[in-house]
Amino acid sequence: MMFEHLLFFSVYLFSIGIYRLITSQNIVRALICLELILNSINLNLVTFSNLFDSCQLKGDIFAIFVIALVAAEAAIGLSILSSIHRNRKSTRINQSNFLNN
Amino acid sequence: MDLPGPIHEILVLFGGFVLLLGGLGVVLLTNPIYSAFSLGLVLVCMSLFYFLLNSYFVAVAQLLIYVGAINVLIIFAVMFVNGLEWSKDKNSWTIGDGFTLLVCITITFSLMTTIPDTSWFGILWTTRSNQIVE
Repeated sequence: MMFEHLLFFSVYLFSIGIYRLITSQNIVRALICLELILNSINLNLVTFSNLFDSCQLKGDIFAIFVIALVAAEAAIGLSILSSIHRNRKSTRINQSNFLNN
Repeated sequence: MDLPGPIHEILVLFGGFVLLLGGLGVVLLTNPIYSAFSLGLVLVCMSLFYFLLNSYFVAVAQLLIYVGAINVLIIFAVMFVNGLEWSKDKNSWTIGDGFTLLVCITITFSLMTTIPDTSWFGILWTTRSNQIVE
């Protein structure tokens, strides 16, 4: 029964992260909420790995892949943020309109 | 971990409570430094959960990589990007915000009602019996 509580926490973090990711005007806040979403995914993976797969731990290994991926993606995202800030002096999301006509 | 039953449950509920508060802090606080430190609290809480789920390596990797590297990078980014525009972050509530809130609440409630109704152990026994048949 305890693992269902952990799944509830994962759902809570996921929905809060998605809401703030979509409605934030700030690139840094969006990156922070992306970390929340990926952490909720990791919690799900490790919970099911502990419950179903105690001998081979496939979910654990995939969680480590996800952690490494998130580290690389956060580094790249923050470097993109710093270059945008250097070029334009402001980091609001609704100013990224190069694909418009 | 091999903790006695009540201590395990108390730690899960305590960690969950801190996680709820930290998640609200990340999303609702307007100052981005407070939001980034609240994210650090959420990541430490997740590491506690991984310790309670017998995944010691993932827990330590989470502490080292997430809290030690990613959270520090985020705080650096928040500090070095110009802070004059943080105050005019979210003054207006658009119709898209309301629709997103509705969709997120729908996702939350549909998942939270599906999770107790699913027979997880039934899935486990079904996959095990398929392996036996093969």
